[in-house]
Amino acid sequence: MTLRIGVDTGGTFTDVVAFDEETGALHVRKVSSTPDDPGLAIVEGLERILEQIGGRTPADVGYFAHGTTVGTNALLTRRGARTGVVTTRGFRDLLELGRGRRPRLYDLQADKPAPFAPRDLRLEVTERVRHDGSIETPLDEDEARAAARTLREAGVEAVAVCLLYSFLRPEHEQRIGEILAEELPGAHISLSSRVLPEFREYERLSTVVTNAYVGPVVAEYLAKLRQRLAERGLRAVPHVTQSNGGIIPFEAAEELPVRMVLSGPSTGVVGAAAICAAAGHPDIITFDMGGTSSDVSLVQGGVPKVTTGMELDGRPVRTPMLDIHTVGAGGGSLARVDAGGHLKVGPASAGADPGPACYGKGSEATVTDADVVLHTLNPAYLLDGRMPVDEQASRAAVARIAERVGLGVEECAHGILRVVTANMARAIRVISVQRGYDPRDYTLVPFGGAGPLHASQLARELGMRTVLVPPTPGAQSALGLLMTDVRADFSRTRIQRVDGERAATAARLGALWAELEQEADAWFDAERIPEADRASERTAELRYAGQNYEIPVPVPGGPLDAAALDTLLETFAAEHRRLYGYDAPGEPVEAVTVRLQAVGSVPQARLPRQEAAGEDASASLTGTREMHLAGEGFVPVPVHRRDALRPGNRVTGPAVIEQMDTTTVLLPGDELTVDAHSNLVITVGD
Amino acid sequence: MNDTATASPASPATDPVLVEVMGAALSSLVEEMGETLVRAAYSSNIKERRDCTAGLFDAEGHMLAQAEQASPIHLGSLIGVVAAVLERFPVEDIRPGDTFLSNDPYSGGGSHLPDMVLVTPVFADGRLTAWAANLAHHADFGDRGHAHIFQEGIRIPPVRFAREGEIVDDVFQLVLTNCQVPAERRADFRAQLAANRLAVARYGELVARHGRETMLATAAALLDYTERRTRAAIADVPDGTYEFTDRFDCPELEETELELRVRITVAGDELHFDFAGNPGQVRASVNMVRTALHATVYYAVKTLVDPDIPSNAGLHRPIRIDAPLGTIVNCQEPAAVNGRTETCQRVVDLVHGALAPAVPGRVTAAANGANTGVHFSGYDRAKGRYFVYLETIGGGSGARAGKDGLDGVQVHVTNTSNLPVEALETEYPLVVEAYELVPDSGGPGRTRGGMGIRRTVRVEGTSPGADDGKADGTGAEEDEGVQFWLDTSRLRSRPWGLFGGLPGSSARVELSEGARPVVRGHTVLRPGDRVSVVTAGAGGYGDPAEREPDRIAQDVREGVTSPDEARRAYGTHAPGTDG
Repeated sequence: MTLRIGVDTGGTFTDVVAFDEETGALHVRKVSSTPDDPGLAIVEGLERILEQIGGRTPADVGYFAHGTTVGTNALLTRRGARTGVVTTRGFRDLLELGRGRRPRLYDLQADKPAPFAPRDLRLEVTERVRHDGSIETPLDEDEARAAARTLREAGVEAVAVCLLYSFLRPEHEQRIGEILAEELPGAHISLSSRVLPEFREYERLSTVVTNAYVGPVVAEYLAKLRQRLAERGLRAVPHVTQSNGGIIPFEAAEELPVRMVLSGPSTGVVGAAAICAAAGHPDIITFDMGGTSSDVSLVQGGVPKVTTGMELDGRPVRTPMLDIHTVGAGGGSLARVDAGGHLKVGPASAGADPGPACYGKGSEATVTDADVVLHTLNPAYLLDGRMPVDEQASRAAVARIAERVGLGVEECAHGILRVVTANMARAIRVISVQRGYDPRDYTLVPFGGAGPLHASQLARELGMRTVLVPPTPGAQSALGLLMTDVRADFSRTRIQRVDGERAATAARLGALWAELEQEADAWFDAERIPEADRASERTAELRYAGQNYEIPVPVPGGPLDAAALDTLLETFAAEHRRLYGYDAPGEPVEAVTVRLQAVGSVPQARLPRQEAAGEDASASLTGTREMHLAGEGFVPVPVHRRDALRPGNRVTGPAVIEQMDTTTVLLPGDELTVDAHSNLVITVGD
Repeated sequence: MNDTATASPASPATDPVLVEVMGAALSSLVEEMGETLVRAAYSSNIKERRDCTAGLFDAEGHMLAQAEQASPIHLGSLIGVVAAVLERFPVEDIRPGDTFLSNDPYSGGGSHLPDMVLVTPVFADGRLTAWAANLAHHADFGDRGHAHIFQEGIRIPPVRFAREGEIVDDVFQLVLTNCQVPAERRADFRAQLAANRLAVARYGELVARHGRETMLATAAALLDYTERRTRAAIADVPDGTYEFTDRFDCPELEETELELRVRITVAGDELHFDFAGNPGQVRASVNMVRTALHATVYYAVKTLVDPDIPSNAGLHRPIRIDAPLGTIVNCQEPAAVNGRTETCQRVVDLVHGALAPAVPGRVTAAANGANTGVHFSGYDRAKGRYFVYLETIGGGSGARAGKDGLDGVQVHVTNTSNLPVEALETEYPLVVEAYELVPDSGGPGRTRGGMGIRRTVRVEGTSPGADDGKADGTGAEEDEGVQFWLDTSRLRSRPWGLFGGLPGSSARVELSEGARPVVRGHTVLRPGDRVSVVTAGAGGYGDPAEREPDRIAQDVREGVTSPDEARRAYGTHAPGTDG
């Protein structure tokens, strides 16, 4: 039981990373994904990597974690379950009305997202709870039963229940849940008081409906995969990633699938945070650039920033998740000239098919074509020679754009990169500057196929001084699966003043957390996590009474006493100043939601540490290629092989570092050093 | 800029890449201003309903960028503000750290009094280079009359609100004393100041990076670029003169209906809007000042020619607007303007109706034709304070050439969010009993108009008893009650369809038994009283006989269309509706 395996299913490749606890060695394998039945590629990947390591069987695997977008895809392609909804009387249309705004201000052809439950499957029951938790109208159980029967006759596979104020008073939802279970045995039932016991009814409704809609799909997928892995001899309990960057066993994910629908990019961030903390860079901004989009996030002190929700395809999903911002800027992003004569790049993408012009199927210019024109990308082949590149096709595509903006072909290619870089910089400003963090204090950590290619230019745009390229940028998410913990989130909304008498307030808040800790303990027990590996992190979401956006404030461990409360309020004021430029001493402060994240630590993979080999990087030099530098034209630059670089080696830009699934570009003035864990640490030139 | 990656010999003004990059930076800046305002504000109208906007202007007051969260009508309170400030304050007296406040439609560039604008000069290299402005709709001024503007709230011409970083407290106190919920106002103004402060800092960072001259040159180029795009888009619209008229009503005008009209001339790459022949301004709140008309027309043009054109002053250049002074669409002092958006919504409908023959694929049938505002105010005994609660309720959006209209949304010049019931009831002594779509409200057609909304609100508490309703002259009953004011339109007419599409349903108000009737948009609700506001649906598009049978069946199944209505509107065309 000495192997730890992470498998991440992507659109093109399924990445498998194995960490051998005996030797400390890290193994990486890529197999083609099988989108119609993703489990096939997972099992194949498992077998291939065992072959690659040699002498091991699935029974030797002590840990198995999986990252999947199966839930996300079900949402985006609307292939979820036939879903019914039960609401408080008068509110069945809330799912469609939402917050009342139209999707686009000026584009009258834009549509609202179609609801996951059609209007005839959204039923109302008589009941009403008030804002103080009192029951104004008791639940009409006969109506609830009639609704359940109507849904059964309509053949629904999943039901979401969302009543007003159920976060305060869940009894009516619970009773409806029981009735539904009696009338619709086998259906997936989601209660909003269980999925998201927090206030704001539309966001809670949207989240619980999303949970119900993907529930059966995710459950079926995980059950099938679990069986398949067991048949191959896997004995370890398989785990899957959640949007909060942690993992949970397959069974737990089946109950709250909404917690994994935005998990796709999360483990890449967790992995980057772990790698960089070990490398002495605890404050980083991650930059995961793929074919169609880029995901960026901020990590401070080795801990990724979290948020309580975002919109997916126009629908709010509120679950604890890493604060990852996505922008439609990738290698396949299309360049075009608009009616005013401006060069635009993205968000439309050539995707994988037809893809950039250089791959032979498409003819429109993309970011990748600009890279081929400038030779920042290898103009002959990629993927260690497996993918031929048609440089002339790229030049022709870029030339068509260049003519329209009155620039030379190379100038236009630089223009495409500058525009896409500006778009990515804007995304990074959203998660840094707009949250009160200065990107110049952070290290840029690029991964994904196209990240390291554009990182140096992006760092310059943002005034960032250091770039760190991890060892396997193309398999970062799979690697991250081996560097995370088992995590579950618990929360309670109880809006209350917290700036009053300290002891009483501390007692009230303490009682709330005690409830959450009980829930967490029950969960730890269910997960069979040993006492010694248990930890929890508390957060209070505070605001000045009267505001409506809360600021999460971490609550240190230990008993919650008057002194701890003082610290909490001081931290809140400091955060308010950082975010908004002022605080309001003496004004009442409210707690809205209190949270507890339960963390079960599991052994982590570590990057192998190697002996320093001196500064001379000539052993990795494979030749030179003509690369186009702005203001200089084509100049010969050295090309190095990543896997031949050794710790301590230094390379000065301009230069190119090639590895199987990515290319790192050093611009003039950049200084690269390989650190002890084989990360490329680049000091960005002026 | 990244000097290793720029080779362009072009000057900043003509380098399309640099101008594009700068455009992205300025958009970032105004979006960040808007977010700061929403997050730091206290009043639910701003923090939850996002009834606010932010913009950046050049030194002369031309808009360079506006936050997209905005309701388009807010532009009407921004486009005139810098000019109004410069008219009163000599440039040499304006210092870094100054901030000006105004809301007055006749002297301050405003479009109605609740929209408070704070505008802050931005200096670079010691010279006035730009202006940051933001607007917040302060939901105050409850329970007012609207015969003329003096009844509608405090009028503030441009005044210095902060001098070199310090709030001018005399002015602040004067304003707060005239507000009904001063604690909220104080906090909201503070959030507004924070948003402008942030803009000054961000602009400073851009200047440090690019230099003042480049900032100015690219800003000018950005406006030229927008103008080129706008002209190119207008050139695609067939030349000609297009006219449209429509009927307008509102609760304040009671039985009176007005006829609104527009005459649009498309000539090459320019547009001319002629509003001659519109009714004179009225003794009611629905008059529009000139800037409100301009903002409304710019919005309509953008929806019809190219929705992705940047929001800056370049868009305005190829558009000429004439409207006689003293009319409902270009009023003069002392006309009341608080409910101007009722009329603005109809101006957008007019423009779509007029241009329907020219761009049939882009227009929509009439939307619900109102910005239905419900205002509840009174004394909250449990909390011991006065409250003002404003909500605007969406309605149907017009059917489109290839798609049904959107059901139950904010249309055209507004796009505010609703207030969650769980937030509203915690804050005010009200209970929301229903928030739902209204069956049979969308106009039938090949594509159906969007559905209207019913929102039912009950006043908390129970009715005082049998002897209620008998005013004893002490005013006690008024104290007990909640003042209810309604702004809406389409009570007396229906939103029209296009190309054979049928009209949507009208708006109406429903009251619980025993409640006092709504007169000229006003009533007093007592504890236990219930009011339902039903907004209009929207017009259909194309002959109902051409509607796909599957869509009709789906609407019937989902209760969007009743079987009776399906038979009536679609005839034998409605399968499954025979029984």
